[in-house]
Amino acid sequence: MPLERKVKYENECDKEFADWVTSQTGGENLRHCIQCGICSAACPLSLYMDYTPRRLINLARAGFKKEVLSSLTIWLCASCYACRVECPKEIQITDIMYLLKRKAIEEGVYPRRFPIPVLAREFGRMVFMFGRVNETLLVTDLFLRTNWFKFLSMTGLGLNLIRTGRMSYLPEHIKNRGQLRKIMNAIDTEAKKGETK
Amino acid sequence: MSDNNPVQKNLPRIGFYICHCGTNIAGTIDVAEVRKYAAGLPGVAVSRDYKYMCSDPGQEMIAKDIKEQKLERLVVAACSPNLHEETFRKAALKGGLNPFYFQMVNIREHVAWVHTDKKAATEKAKDLSRAAIARVAYHQSLEKKRVPVDPNVLVVGGGIAGIHAALTLANAGKKVTLVEREATIGGHMALFDKTFPTLDCAACILTPKMSAVKAHPNITLWTYSEVEKVEGYVGNYKVQVKRKPRYVKEDLCVGCMECIDACVFKEPKFHDKFNQGLGKRKPVYIDFPQATPKVVLVDPETCIQLKTGKCKKSCAAVCDRNAFDFEQKPEIKEIQVGAIVLATGFKAYDAKRDYVYGYGRYPGVYTALEVERLVNASGPTSGEIVLRDGKRPKAVGIVHCVGSRDAKSNKWCSRVCCMYSLKLAHLIKEHSGADVYNFYIDMRAPGKAYEEFYDKLLGEGVQFIRGRVAEVTDWAMTPGEEGRLVMRVEDTLAGFVRRIPVDMVVLSTGLEPQADAQEVRRRFNIGCGTEGFFQERHPKLAPVNTFTDGIYIAGACQAPRDIPDTVAQAGAAAAEALALIDAGFVELEPNTSRVIEDECCGCKSCISLCPYSAITFDEVKKKAVINEVLCKGCGVCAAACPSGSIRQNLFEDDEIFSEIKGILANDRKI
Repeated sequence: MPLERKVKYENECDKEFADWVTSQTGGENLRHCIQCGICSAACPLSLYMDYTPRRLINLARAGFKKEVLSSLTIWLCASCYACRVECPKEIQITDIMYLLKRKAIEEGVYPRRFPIPVLAREFGRMVFMFGRVNETLLVTDLFLRTNWFKFLSMTGLGLNLIRTGRMSYLPEHIKNRGQLRKIMNAIDTEAKKGETK
Repeated sequence: MSDNNPVQKNLPRIGFYICHCGTNIAGTIDVAEVRKYAAGLPGVAVSRDYKYMCSDPGQEMIAKDIKEQKLERLVVAACSPNLHEETFRKAALKGGLNPFYFQMVNIREHVAWVHTDKKAATEKAKDLSRAAIARVAYHQSLEKKRVPVDPNVLVVGGGIAGIHAALTLANAGKKVTLVEREATIGGHMALFDKTFPTLDCAACILTPKMSAVKAHPNITLWTYSEVEKVEGYVGNYKVQVKRKPRYVKEDLCVGCMECIDACVFKEPKFHDKFNQGLGKRKPVYIDFPQATPKVVLVDPETCIQLKTGKCKKSCAAVCDRNAFDFEQKPEIKEIQVGAIVLATGFKAYDAKRDYVYGYGRYPGVYTALEVERLVNASGPTSGEIVLRDGKRPKAVGIVHCVGSRDAKSNKWCSRVCCMYSLKLAHLIKEHSGADVYNFYIDMRAPGKAYEEFYDKLLGEGVQFIRGRVAEVTDWAMTPGEEGRLVMRVEDTLAGFVRRIPVDMVVLSTGLEPQADAQEVRRRFNIGCGTEGFFQERHPKLAPVNTFTDGIYIAGACQAPRDIPDTVAQAGAAAAEALALIDAGFVELEPNTSRVIEDECCGCKSCISLCPYSAITFDEVKKKAVINEVLCKGCGVCAAACPSGSIRQNLFEDDEIFSEIKGILANDRKI
């Protein structure tokens, strides 16, 4: 088994990353965390997380950007808000998870072939293109990009859903798609501006 | 001796009472059986048991029985006499009986709480009760002596505790002598820049109180002085105080400090103790601008005149009040006081003892007290965070629990370090803009507005890393660590070891007893715990009292504590002293020894044995004389007297022998 260095040097920390999180809407209270861990205990998905939410918050405010953005934790978060409800410091943990997800997609560091970030990205792209989400297309796309074999095993179920009218067959789109794209582009530009501020 | 004892033939009527103490006693001892057993013993006229003897109805029962059943002696089997002896003595008095016609049996601490075998415990309770019943018949009527209390008070230590206690007492109209070892009062608090959690300036809140001490007509302030000797007893202490020579007449000096400018040493070059060695001073100096009294002093170790006698004495020459006196000698003063408040404070842990943190090896490593002076506007750098090498730190690491929570040094939590570390983190960040890391084991913020202060610091972006730093080193492993101090710590919350390079390390040293705490406690005849802090009489219910009546403790000499708690305790100690003084007298236990003059052979063996120096020798009569006021009733003299001519109240031979007989007179087969 190859040995790897586990100790962290301070130059592996990105202090600006921590500042960025606290500067974002929802991230303001990040530094007030007292590391009590109730978020992790309340989280129904911490069972599968590589870093518990408590630890993720600790790493984020210390500036361990690489660890935070490449963690599974942010993608496993189901936005149930249990942590946010319980947090004694009223830290908006779920909002922070969203912040981190967006940042991870932006920087392209999310875990490859992990369906959730792919789903999030493809969902957004489909809305941008059609103004509507077509399940058949989305699911096909998702499986092809993440897990071929799963796609084959799910084909039967998919066909049944289409036959019974539970999933649409053809892609639909809204009128004036151009206007929606304009709106979405404007939001993106504003968000970018906000970040560079 | 009991063969010809008159009492035996006509036993007094004894009342026996046994307490259940809820289930404390009744859970282990068959109370009813002991009650029945006692009823059959000689002399016992009344035998009762009750749920809580110490309660009002319990006491009423005793008083009523004494009156109605014409009881002449009283025995109560209950808890420790430390707790309720006085209660039942009062009950006896209420019934019209002399309170010393009473004996208490401790069947709770001595029996119920320490045994599990119920049958055997019941038998033991019977034995002890029988012994008390046998002894009480011989008890005699005694009176408590009253001794007047001197209304003056001595306060030892001029830190915030001593200052507050002295002012409280003086405001109540008592004459107070405040003795301080250093040249100025103010103590550790005078070193601080700000105080947590309010961040108000330490000097701004302390110096008005220091001036008030100086100006108060009821306070005699003796700085640069130490208590040499304490004699006497509660209400009447005779104290010798040594006033060390300042080589400046305190009443003449006005603190203009022209002598300091005039000193033959043009530049200050000697270790400045007040500034923790970060600044320099001249042989003639004053600790800080608000020193109280504002009087200069001359250090005999560094002054040329005092060392060699060959100096042109330019300091004395510029003094237009002729305050210098190089011939000054130590002066011994003697005062009489009724009560003493000890507020001798603490010593900061010597950071050199924790070698791994490099204090003394790396110039970038500081103790918290040094940083207090660094961030202080009146300190050696006027409040600028400048390192010993002249650089300004970009990153600062604060190590909590140095000399605390460590079996290798001090096991206790020093209680104030978390909070003062937070305060220093805030001040360092504010003064220098540096990144500040706090390395803590547990964050302890248990005071009013303390947790909120911690929260404020979290919000300020100070980094908190949970883990005890293992090492501070200058051995670099990455380019970023070159030329810096690297702190190695497990970030236990992140789950990995980190190496954090900083430019300045602050060691939050813990609080220890003063180096001479043992000598001091012996001088004042009080106790201390294993760690060396002065021992309070009771950790919860008598926190400022000591086991020596009339001596009270306040502040960090008793245990590490912060300023609010210290001031509260100083107020409490002052109130206890006032309660003693304002009563005007103390009642002494009558369990003292006395000499039967006719029988004393004058061998003097008792005199050297008495631990309280209560026995003197009457050279005319050639007899030993016991001062009843000084006698604490330890019984050493009575036991040692070869002619048996010393007797002790409540421990007469009759009483002791019948108690022994009583305890042995069981018919059980072992």
